[in-house]
Amino acid sequence: MNEVYLAGRGLASALGTDLGSALVALVEGGVEPGRFELADGSAWPLYTIADDDSDWTSRARRITQCVAHESGALAGERNGPLFLASSSLDIGAREDSGEFDGDYQSFAETVAGWLDWRGPVFTVSTACTSALNALLSAHTLIRNGAAEQALVLGLELRNRVTVGGFGGMQLLSATRALPFGEARDGLVLGEAVAALHLSRKPSRWRIAGGANVVDGRDPAGAVPSAVVALCRQALASSALQPQDIALIKPQAAGSPANDATEAEALRQVFDPLPALVSLKAAIGHTLGAAGAAELALLIACLEAGVWPRVDYAQDAALNAPLAGRAPARARHVLACILGFGGGHAAVVLEDRES
Amino acid sequence: MSDWRTLAHVVVDPLPADWREQLARRLGQRPRRIGAWAELALYGARLCLDAAGESTLPARAQLRVASLSGPLAATRVIAEQARSSLPMPFAFMQSQPSQMLAALSQQLAWQGDARFMLCRDKDAVLRLARLECGPAGVLIGWVEEDRRTEWWRVCD
Repeated sequence: MNEVYLAGRGLASALGTDLGSALVALVEGGVEPGRFELADGSAWPLYTIADDDSDWTSRARRITQCVAHESGALAGERNGPLFLASSSLDIGAREDSGEFDGDYQSFAETVAGWLDWRGPVFTVSTACTSALNALLSAHTLIRNGAAEQALVLGLELRNRVTVGGFGGMQLLSATRALPFGEARDGLVLGEAVAALHLSRKPSRWRIAGGANVVDGRDPAGAVPSAVVALCRQALASSALQPQDIALIKPQAAGSPANDATEAEALRQVFDPLPALVSLKAAIGHTLGAAGAAELALLIACLEAGVWPRVDYAQDAALNAPLAGRAPARARHVLACILGFGGGHAAVVLEDRES
Repeated sequence: MSDWRTLAHVVVDPLPADWREQLARRLGQRPRRIGAWAELALYGARLCLDAAGESTLPARAQLRVASLSGPLAATRVIAEQARSSLPMPFAFMQSQPSQMLAALSQQLAWQGDARFMLCRDKDAVLRLARLECGPAGVLIGWVEEDRRTEWWRVCD
């Protein structure tokens, strides 16, 4: 079995069109979400990428090329597997054009064409857990010698269906996301395109393991026993114990019920809880891209010593406070995403320089 | 798939006119709040498990579903709704493949590793599933709305 490393990463989000810009924005206190108006006149906060091209496809192409370039994946052979992870795919383009001719794989192949990618192309769509599941599959291929390297692209770009769908389900906050916050009242969605370039070649961050657990008992929320199973399976696959984890990036989207479910389940597995960090107050919940987007940003933060501010009252009842600064040492990091549709996914990263 | 032990392989193509009634009879009730594509996945998965002699999936087995059609019909409906008003929540949920996975998990009373994963090359999907699954194997389906549902239950 091969070890698998994170060779590079890229991110375009509301914080900026690359990770360097994102870190600067975080240091300066972050950005405010914009407003996205729907056909019925309602408007919701949305963290948007600063690119005002009105053509959905040309915007998506430009952003994706920049992010993939930032990850370093385009400098090599481009013949490994490419995983496109998204819950909305190109629905924004379909909304604009009214055309629904392509099948469910066609957008991933279009993206591969944008990148002149010559390897096999996969679509992964498991709602919010899409990018972590794509990462787990890419990890499997490299680990088993079926690929030398792989590119995971998480992509969620503006569209009415997603904002309207979440609005219709009454899952959105009308103001801002407050992960694990006392006054949390829902999610704020965000745009992101994120790239994770995986390779056999050793580098600082090793992908130690991970897990995916679906439990459909609550199609719109997290299931406590599934969160516990997820953490335990992710630890087991990484040959780690709970006390080995120094930092957890939970889902923590600002949902009243889900945040409480997650915090309680994490406390069942981790006693005491290690440091916690959330990035959704900075970039929003980027749905299918979230796993890749938050990992890319978190790793950049850890390497640069930059930390997202927590400028709101946290919910003491959760007994799961977000850390105000980066842990001095975080060799093993657990990143969780809990998804719409009963999906729960996690990966464990090892910082070999910690 | 040559080194796998195939417990069952079910292909329903073309679909019988009464497939939804068959599914409702098998489940004892009509599935609620899921779209036609998810219902077709459930129909094929249930047939395949029945053929394998399994009431549900073992805990450590995996579930994989692929489809070129996906829930595009539901997506088209929700896009039309979004064009003029706030989309209906159930229509939105039906446009997400994850809701099909949730429905399968719920109907099978099973918690485990389930993913919607697609590649134009069907063998690439099967090869990846082969690498990802453990000894308990995988239930893997290829489901095309209004046309066909094909499922394998395989293990080491």
